[in-house]
Amino acid sequence: MKLSGVMKGAGLVTACALLTAAITMTGLLAFVYSTSFAGRGWSASMDQISGSLTFTGEGYAFTGEELLEAGDWAMLLDAGGRVAWSWQYPEELPQSYTLCDVAAFTRWYLEDYPVRCRVRGDGLLVVGGPKDSVWKHDIAMDIQTLRQVPAWFAAMFLTSLVCVLALAYALLGRWFRKAQQVRDAARSDWINGISHDIRTPLSMVMGYAAQMESACDLPPQRQKQAGIIRTQSQAIRDLVNDLNLTMRLDWAMQPLRKERLQPAAFLRQTAADFLNSGMGEGFPLEIDLPPQGLKEIHGDPFLLRRALNNLLTNAVRHNAPGCRLAVGAREAKGHVVFWVEGGQAAEGLAQPAPAHSLEADGGAAHGTGLRLVSQIAAAHGGIARFSSGPPYRCELWIPIRN
Amino acid sequence: MAYRILVVDDEPALQRMVGEILAQGGYESEAALSCGQAMERIQTVKPDAVLLDVMLPDGDGFSLLDKLRRMGEEVPVLFLSARDEDAARLQGLGLGADDYITKPFLPQELLLRLGAVLRRVCGRQEETDRLGDTQIDWGKGMARRDGKETPLTAKEFALLKKLWEARGNIVTIDALCQALWEGPLVGYENTLMVHIRRLREKIEADPSHPRYLLTVRGLGYRLAREERT
Repeated sequence: MKLSGVMKGAGLVTACALLTAAITMTGLLAFVYSTSFAGRGWSASMDQISGSLTFTGEGYAFTGEELLEAGDWAMLLDAGGRVAWSWQYPEELPQSYTLCDVAAFTRWYLEDYPVRCRVRGDGLLVVGGPKDSVWKHDIAMDIQTLRQVPAWFAAMFLTSLVCVLALAYALLGRWFRKAQQVRDAARSDWINGISHDIRTPLSMVMGYAAQMESACDLPPQRQKQAGIIRTQSQAIRDLVNDLNLTMRLDWAMQPLRKERLQPAAFLRQTAADFLNSGMGEGFPLEIDLPPQGLKEIHGDPFLLRRALNNLLTNAVRHNAPGCRLAVGAREAKGHVVFWVEGGQAAEGLAQPAPAHSLEADGGAAHGTGLRLVSQIAAAHGGIARFSSGPPYRCELWIPIRN
Repeated sequence: MAYRILVVDDEPALQRMVGEILAQGGYESEAALSCGQAMERIQTVKPDAVLLDVMLPDGDGFSLLDKLRRMGEEVPVLFLSARDEDAARLQGLGLGADDYITKPFLPQELLLRLGAVLRRVCGRQEETDRLGDTQIDWGKGMARRDGKETPLTAKEFALLKKLWEARGNIVTIDALCQALWEGPLVGYENTLMVHIRRLREKIEADPSHPRYLLTVRGLGYRLAREERT
């Protein structure tokens, strides 16, 4: 997953989370606002109701019936706790109240009737609603705690936000990985398909060319031509292999199978395999290893062998037979340095062959091979260094890890 | 008698070419274009080895090999496939294949690798081989020169066997030490040289100027090729 993709995804998720939180909070506030004073005559102001009740000298006159709804009732208690005036007063309720009764119902309920109170000059106005119509709760909070409420809200909001983001990241990550797997599988199938389709016909080109090259009944000129076809087929094969591997390394599809390697033994085996394959025929190969031995490295033997083999093959391909090649290894700055050197024209050749075997920016024919060498070094946490000569030299710096 | 090789590949042109290569290498070949045909040929022809493609019209080579091994069929199998991924190679070798050759291949490479597998699997210990004027009796562990028999020590025998199996190719000193002492080279280098010198005295006419057991400086040793008796 690329960083820009992650950043885009993160921005998107953050924006969504903030929008969701804002909508939720707004909705919650709107609900609380619209419902806290809503419902039955509970919304009517006690000021208005109280203003509708006046003493006329003979008794009380109430003009606020429209302010109350069905089931509501009201009473006025005088200073002695007696009911001085009432409106639709429930029969089961008493006509006088003690100080304790008043203290209790002002905060809670009066015989399960939810009530509101208003102190007037002539007593206490009590307005009640039907039973089970209003929920009341006494809220008391330490002032210190109250001051911390904003901080608590902020902390809870941030915690929720982090949880939402983490969940979103996890889901997005899964989605990205799945999409990447699908894309990688498609790429892999494509590479394998191309590779397969080239290899089978190339087998026949290479096989018949090799047979013709060694056929005694063909004139030497034709044998030589068959040899050229065979050599070029091998070049195509190597190119296909390199392209295949370079794409796998680019797309991180090539698993690294690291194991403990003794560099000297590994280098000897690689050189022996190269000579046994016949590729190095006519090219004297020198091995340069320190007598005291080298520290072990952790590396993928297949990939490292491929890198060294590419360098040796390039050296052979771009030089004339007789050209002296050398491979070696040494320790330097916490690394084991494998190196391949070659490219000087052979002694006695009138016209030295072009010696550019190890140029990092070489021609297309071996550019992929050298790019692959750099990729393999990078995959091991090391680097490849190319130097222009002659003699031309490439070094593979592989870190020593305990 | 020539070894009989069954070639299983769905590409008739490639089959013909492999058949020709095998004929030039002194082998007889049989052809099968599918898994079904291969099963039938293996049971009727009883080949000495099978060259098996992975992608076949009625199945894949991996399943076929797995089926063969489950049936107790131990015929050596070499994959000859255009699939070069590590996973495919490891799958094939993991199922018990004797080698995995990727296409495209050189005819000589195919013959050498097939020969190596046949020598390993079908090699007969009582056989004798000739190395110049020296006859090597693998069964008795003897080297015979000028009518004189010289016994080979266990290490010399193992050394010669390892070099013989790869004859024509360089065998590194590390691989020889691994074969002789099942360990790394460290500490054995001089001992290995002593064994090589003694072996040369038994198989070479002039041990100071060896013609067969050759030193490849910095790498190891190589046993020059000789005709099999």
